[in-house]
Amino acid sequence: MFKRLQTKLTVLYAGLFALALSVVAVTVYVAIASNAQRAVREELAASGTVFDRVWALRTQRLHDGAELLSRDFGFRAAVATHDRPTVESAVANLRQRLGLDLAFTVGVDGEVVGLDPARLNLEKLWSALDAEDGAQGVFAIDGKPYQLISAPILSPTLTGWIVFAARLDEPEMRGLEKLSAIGLDAQVFDERGGQWVSADAGPVDKPLAAFVGKAMQDKLRAPTLLRGGADSLVLVKPIKALDRASGAALVLRYPMAQALAPYKPLMAAVIIAGLLGAALVAAASWALSRGLAKPITALDVAARRLQGGEDVTVEVTTRDEIGRLAESFNLMASEIREREAEMIRQALHDGETGLPNRRALERAIQMRLAAIAPGEQVVIAAIGFDRFPQVRAAIGYELATELVAKLGQRIFEIAPGVLVARLTTSILCVVSASNSLDHVLGLVEDVLPSLEAPIEVGGELVDVHITQGLAASQGELDAARLIERALIALDQSRAAHRKFMAFDAAAYGDPSANLSLMSEMLEAVRKGELYLNHQPKLDLRTGAITGVEALARWNHPTRGFIRPDLFVGMAEETGHIRALTDYVLAQAIEDQARLRAAGHDVLMSVNISGRLVDDHAFAKHAIAQVTAAGARLCFEITETAVIGNPDVALSVLDLLAEAGIPVSIDDYGSGLSSLAYLKQIRADELKIDKAFVMSLEAGGKDALLVKSTVDLAHSLGMKVTAEGVETREGLAALQLMGCDLAQGYHVAKPMGLDKLVDFLGEWSIEMPVPKETRQDETRKSA
Amino acid sequence: MRHAALLLMAALWAGPALAGDFTVTVRGSDGKPVPDAVVMVYPNGQPTKGPIKFPWAYRVAQQNIQFNPFMLVVPVGADVAFPNLDKVRHHVYSFSAGNKFEIKLYGHEENRTAKMSTVGVAAIGCNIHDQMVGFIRVVDTQYAAKTDANGVVTIQDVPAGAIKASVWHPYMRAMKNEKALTTASVGAGAAREQVTVDLRAPAGH
Repeated sequence: MFKRLQTKLTVLYAGLFALALSVVAVTVYVAIASNAQRAVREELAASGTVFDRVWALRTQRLHDGAELLSRDFGFRAAVATHDRPTVESAVANLRQRLGLDLAFTVGVDGEVVGLDPARLNLEKLWSALDAEDGAQGVFAIDGKPYQLISAPILSPTLTGWIVFAARLDEPEMRGLEKLSAIGLDAQVFDERGGQWVSADAGPVDKPLAAFVGKAMQDKLRAPTLLRGGADSLVLVKPIKALDRASGAALVLRYPMAQALAPYKPLMAAVIIAGLLGAALVAAASWALSRGLAKPITALDVAARRLQGGEDVTVEVTTRDEIGRLAESFNLMASEIREREAEMIRQALHDGETGLPNRRALERAIQMRLAAIAPGEQVVIAAIGFDRFPQVRAAIGYELATELVAKLGQRIFEIAPGVLVARLTTSILCVVSASNSLDHVLGLVEDVLPSLEAPIEVGGELVDVHITQGLAASQGELDAARLIERALIALDQSRAAHRKFMAFDAAAYGDPSANLSLMSEMLEAVRKGELYLNHQPKLDLRTGAITGVEALARWNHPTRGFIRPDLFVGMAEETGHIRALTDYVLAQAIEDQARLRAAGHDVLMSVNISGRLVDDHAFAKHAIAQVTAAGARLCFEITETAVIGNPDVALSVLDLLAEAGIPVSIDDYGSGLSSLAYLKQIRADELKIDKAFVMSLEAGGKDALLVKSTVDLAHSLGMKVTAEGVETREGLAALQLMGCDLAQGYHVAKPMGLDKLVDFLGEWSIEMPVPKETRQDETRKSA
Repeated sequence: MRHAALLLMAALWAGPALAGDFTVTVRGSDGKPVPDAVVMVYPNGQPTKGPIKFPWAYRVAQQNIQFNPFMLVVPVGADVAFPNLDKVRHHVYSFSAGNKFEIKLYGHEENRTAKMSTVGVAAIGCNIHDQMVGFIRVVDTQYAAKTDANGVVTIQDVPAGAIKASVWHPYMRAMKNEKALTTASVGAGAAREQVTVDLRAPAGH
């Protein structure tokens, strides 16, 4: 209902107080009202008694007067002798003396003297007078109630009555009202024709008249509360009527409003005091709850801000629970901050070296990217340790890590404005303070010697060799892409055997496109987009084409011819080489079968990737294929392929040898050539790399190398094939050197199967060195 | 003595005619005997011609601030004496029509008289002492007397024949405080009648 504690408390307290006060006020009012009512009741009762007394006294006075007159001898004589003028004058005299309203005599014979008999009901009056000695009571004269007092006139027997009458109308009642302590309203009611009518002039008060009638009927003699309109307490006192048949009543009335009037200031005081009190309580509880709610509100606000990650402290002002809560909150907030800082530090730092980690690096780059102006660049450099595994193996893991850390420190010392982060175990990354790649390239060049100075770890100086790859972004690359480029640049730099270089987008190409190429390649195998070209191999002794090398070609429907080294290399890197090789094998077997059908029996060489040389499963599969088809294939492998996993590779080669499949060592001399392995490999052929053959005709060292290699191979029982033979002179030289086979443009370019069939059919060559001569040469050399 | 002799002479003189006693017993409506009720008998309904003489003294004394007797029957024209036997003085009066008189203050042992000139009633009072009330019934018949304490009165020697008789009492609720008796005639023997009357209380003093 109320969203604020302060409002809630204020409303609660003020409400409670107001409620309590209302109860007090109501109680006071009820008490006052009942008290006032009781007081008025008592007063009314007292007034009733006073009235009785006054009535009695008055009656007595009148009675005394009447009595006195009735006993006066002269008066009696006048009455007895019917001396009317005398009687009238005597009555008038006494009326004046006593201040009476009316005075008259009624004879036993019904003669009225002193009053017009028409003004009253004589018969009724006479009966009443006769019925009782000294009758008195209320009697209507002129339709108005009068109090009548009678006394018999005895002379000495009853001759009549002297009657005094006093009005009971308003002036009389005002006199009675004055006797009361409280402002009563007194009226006389008399019954006329079943209706109770007030003697007062003025508007008829019907409820009061009805009430009087009911009170008289029920003989209600206690003051009673009359409701309706203005409440009033009413006391109805019956007054004796002269004749028993009719009745009269004195009605004393006191309005409650008047009774309560003296208490009004008290009530007003109670209400004013209550309102003041309520206002005070509201203000006080407002202030109290404010004091209570304010720190809570502050805590609430602080908690929200803390949640939002802000650094907050609540000011502790009190020593109560809230104060302690605020203290705890502050403590908690500071601990949260510390923990958060630690977490952030851990999240953004490398645990081993304490250098910022990749996340921190990305953040820093992102911030720099957001801050640079158009045209400026964010430049980063990936700094990789060369041969780190070897160094680590040499000095141990711990010191190697220390080495990385110290290099980071050194970079920071040389260029204080940069950020140094550790990207991988052996690669650091620096975000340059400079905004220009060219500038940074210059800097890198300058600081390279000092960077590569030996670093002391574990008390020893260790040589440091690093390669760097730089990349820059103007905002077109995000942090992750920029770092990736720096790493690629590092790879490119290493591949190019340079100390540092910037990312070369052209050389990098589009690796992601290459990846998709692989899935397309598998598709291409099915669709026949892949095919084999064959490059003939010339037997230098016979001049005949005795073999071909099958080379995979891919005519991509949209990209055109794709370089073999691209898709083969990709297939090797992405694990698709097996599928490719399976295809080549199958196709080579098929092509050979077609050549045979055309009458050409040539040995078909197939390149087997180094990745498959140590694969037993592949070897078994290939052997099974070849054997099943009765094909004559030669597997060309590189010497390097054997070096990776020599035991397995050599056993695979043994399997091939056992199966009668000749093996050729490809590209000999270009890679790492190990005589030790050469000795172990059971190969039938050695192919000299074209790098040596192409510059053969120039003479010099290459010719010497080729000659000695040919001799070496022959000594090991292998035939020698020279690749890259492009000139007749080269061919002649090889022939003279005793090389067995030649392959190259000078002999033939690789060609499709159909062309090959034609080629073989039309083949003829004039050998540079005639057979005899060569034989001579051979002989000479032998 | 002289009165007694006169009475005797009259009786004798009345001759040998037949006569009888008429006894009336008067009781109140409560059954109690009513004393001082005056029974008047008119033989043939006629008042007595000639002088009327009663055997009791025509005298109302004032004794102990009371009239004594309370009731006195006198013939019309009789002089009634009002001897004051008290030590205080009295002022006796009557406003009764026809028999109006006033005997102003007089003392002990003083005697005053007043003449009852009209048949009827003389209600007598004392102007000094309101409680003193007495009545003098002035009659025009020989045959009248008042009841005694037992409410009984005997009218002697009522001539036989038709009569008109009535009973009167000052407090009787009746026209002129009088009630006719039912006996219409008397014979030689004794006649009796018992009558019940309704009395009102005397006017308060």
